[in-house]
Amino acid sequence: MENGAHIRAVGLVGSFASIGLLIGAVTPALAQAPDPDARQEVIEQAQSQKSTSLQPYVSSKGERLMARVEDAFVYPVETWHPFLENAYRGGGFALGAGYMQHVSAFSFVDVRGSYSIRDYKRIEAEFVSPRLFHRRGELSVLGGWRDVTQAAFYGVGLDTSSDDRANYGFERPYASALLTVRPTRRLLMLRGGLELTRWRLKSGAGSDPSVEDVFTPAQLPGVRTTTTYVHSQGTVGFDWRTAPGYARRGGFYGVTVHDYSDRDDTLGFRQVDYELIQHVPILREAWVISLHGLAETTWPKDGQQVPFFMLSSLGGGSNLRGFSSWRFRDRHSLLMQAEWRIMANRFFETTVFYDAGKVAASTSDLDFDGLKSDYGFGARFHTPFSTAFRVDVARSSEGTRLVFATSPVF
Amino acid sequence: MRTKLFLFLVLVLTAVFSASRGSVTTASPHFYRDDPLAREPESQDASRAATSEIGDLYEMVHNLFVQPGYKPSGVRAENLNTIDDVPDSGWFTNRIGTRALTTEELVRGPIAGAPPDPSRWVIIREKISGAHPGMTARDATGQTWFLEFDPPYYPEAATAAVVMATKFFWALGYNQVESFLTTFDPKRMEFDPVATLRRPNGKRTPFTRDDIDSILEHVARRPDGTYRVVAGRLLPGKILGNFRFEGTRPDDPNDLVPHERRRELRALRVFGAWTNLTDLKALNTIDTLVTENGRSIVKHWLQDVGSTFGMCNDRYEWDLSWEHFYQGDTTTKRLLSFGFALSPWQTVKYTEAPSIGKFEGDRFDPRTWRPQTPTTAYMELRDDDAFWAAQRVGAFTDEMIRAIVHTGEFSDPTSERALGDILIKRRNKILATYLPAVNPIVTPRLENNRLTFDNAAVRAGVAKPPAAYRASWFQFDNATGETRLLSTTTSATTTIEAPPGLPTAEVSFIALDISANASDHKTWQRPIRTYFRRGASGWTLVGLERIPQASTNGAATF
Repeated sequence: MENGAHIRAVGLVGSFASIGLLIGAVTPALAQAPDPDARQEVIEQAQSQKSTSLQPYVSSKGERLMARVEDAFVYPVETWHPFLENAYRGGGFALGAGYMQHVSAFSFVDVRGSYSIRDYKRIEAEFVSPRLFHRRGELSVLGGWRDVTQAAFYGVGLDTSSDDRANYGFERPYASALLTVRPTRRLLMLRGGLELTRWRLKSGAGSDPSVEDVFTPAQLPGVRTTTTYVHSQGTVGFDWRTAPGYARRGGFYGVTVHDYSDRDDTLGFRQVDYELIQHVPILREAWVISLHGLAETTWPKDGQQVPFFMLSSLGGGSNLRGFSSWRFRDRHSLLMQAEWRIMANRFFETTVFYDAGKVAASTSDLDFDGLKSDYGFGARFHTPFSTAFRVDVARSSEGTRLVFATSPVF
Repeated sequence: MRTKLFLFLVLVLTAVFSASRGSVTTASPHFYRDDPLAREPESQDASRAATSEIGDLYEMVHNLFVQPGYKPSGVRAENLNTIDDVPDSGWFTNRIGTRALTTEELVRGPIAGAPPDPSRWVIIREKISGAHPGMTARDATGQTWFLEFDPPYYPEAATAAVVMATKFFWALGYNQVESFLTTFDPKRMEFDPVATLRRPNGKRTPFTRDDIDSILEHVARRPDGTYRVVAGRLLPGKILGNFRFEGTRPDDPNDLVPHERRRELRALRVFGAWTNLTDLKALNTIDTLVTENGRSIVKHWLQDVGSTFGMCNDRYEWDLSWEHFYQGDTTTKRLLSFGFALSPWQTVKYTEAPSIGKFEGDRFDPRTWRPQTPTTAYMELRDDDAFWAAQRVGAFTDEMIRAIVHTGEFSDPTSERALGDILIKRRNKILATYLPAVNPIVTPRLENNRLTFDNAAVRAGVAKPPAAYRASWFQFDNATGETRLLSTTTSATTTIEAPPGLPTAEVSFIALDISANASDHKTWQRPIRTYFRRGASGWTLVGLERIPQASTNGAATF
């Protein structure tokens, strides 16, 4: 806060060696005052001297900076914020920004957009009301548009080659509402949602051939299509993690049922996801064994087909990390992940992980035979409730991949 | 002419010599007539002091990531009187270790007024400090209180911690909030019509029943539907915000000593270790502007001492008190070993009782104890500061400790006993650590030509008596500071005969260097320097210096 004369002045209270400093430290006016003969007078003279130069406390630059950071991130009321989420998996590094503003005591609107190095674009607005039904419910209403230029497609099944990559692009406007309810405010979680979205596929960019140059619509349902879906979903789950964004204990067991109704009755299907997350703390959370299992199954409606771009998939930074995004696609998929997470400190941890999974045309083939796998290590910066930054290095039979993300892997 | 020239040269040389010393040489005595001071003067009106808060994030980031590079100055505390004690002030009042405290005084602690009347609570706003859920409310008599609940996983523990800690820290000398255990009955609760709560949108809107429910859902509830709470009385005076553990208030004329050089703030490292005050930070302090003797002065409080006895924000915060929130050395160790290099907090055993937090005494080591973040005053602790603090901790007898623990009103006698046992163990470790670490000679007296003193470490039973004590006697010139050796005497006991030839004139001074020859404690060979002044009634101790002003090994070895 301040130094100088006052520090020296009071040094004499306890320090014999600095007795003389008091007189040397005071102003000429004070120095001309009669020498005090009592310690009390000496100190009172110094206090009197300070009283002539009082000033309010002025925050340092560091304090002002931290106050702004605290306002923006810890107690956000309305603020600009970075938005690094991509429009679609495999879009590469994305940069963007958002602006959040409260519209009521608890509810807020967030308008955000991002642009990636592969020319993926995403712009959307979300209204979030986090405190419904006496803190039992949260509503999210989302509307937006995404433009994807070169999503990968390697064929259907597990035995495709990474050399057979083809690309497709699409534009997708969407509007959705998602309501999450926790009837007991803990453990049991119910979620329901409705989405209206249109997929308009277009030729893929990039050096790889475009999908429609490799496959005909007869060979691959969904090629060159424009499809409008009414997507409804419902989830029943038990969630006792400390937070979905970051947890060192607890788990989530849930089932989600999706219905995708194609307004042309050609590409409609149903999907059921079974998900299990379990964090097992060891040695008082210095280590955590985190396990994740996810099975996705899709079922075409009568006389309809599942379009290739909606097939269940594996590959990318949040599932089979050693493989490129969308590397494997088929009607069904099974993913199993295990992480050994090692706490370095309260804000940083490292991890050693193993991922395994497969896609299959039949649910009976979702067994442990022929699993594709990878392994690697990673590091995460996190808060008690969210993952701020994650970097993973994963090795698979198809090479080594580097993953950067601003969300947990599961 | 030659005489005038000589006088001129003397004047010039005197001026040059004075200037070269950087300070004007004066006739200032080494000891003033009022030494040692019992109270730090607060002579100026401080009514211009304004509110100033410290940011939580700033303090944490600064303490965790800037402070580790801080090099302790090794400078002696600067708010001491000439006999190495801390005088009373707006910061500190000498209590235990200075005067005899009765058990009644101890268990009353800071309490000066009547307890709250819980027959009706009127909610007026949220709680503004403390880790555990709570609110601000008026009781049936209209007085304002800060209410804090127990978390469900530590019933009784958090509220008891506040009550006990305020009494311990009051006895240790700090200004403390009056805190009472009482009851909150939701059926007897109402809202002040203007009660508001800050919302995420930054605006204040009326307090609602749902807001209360959101608090009560996360706290320990009694079978009869009521809640045990600790009520802290609203502090008197104008709230000025937090005090900082470094520098001085630029708007307080009486605040002269940089806070990191205040011994009572440095000593919080020792008192904090004893009581496990892990959330030791500026944000848990407060300054108030009060009127005393017709003058406005700033009074400094440890406002929130509830993070004690194993209480923390979350029952899974295992590393609290063992590591700062961030430490480079432990981070590196765990990174390089993949976590196989275990830290003590991973294996330490705690008492399995719901009303006791993560608090233990078997593996406790005061030197390795860590608060959540290190303050500058914490870093500046020297061994003489720690010795001073340890003496005060040692002044708590077993009975005193158990009497204060009893005020926690634990329903489980086993827990109460266990908590007392832990505090006693930790007290003993503090004594064993800090009392022998420096020359532990205390309370020197010179009467009837005989020097007597005590050995604090031996008296506490944490060290064996030395083979011999040695005293070097000096004549001391209070005006010039010059000393002349008179004699050196030795003794196998804490009584040493004075040599013949001590000054007999009134207002004469002697200096005495007293050391001890103990093979186990090399530091005891470094003498403490004491000064006595001859008065009409005999010799009076006026000076004591345990470790010199700037000592290379004055800084506590942690």
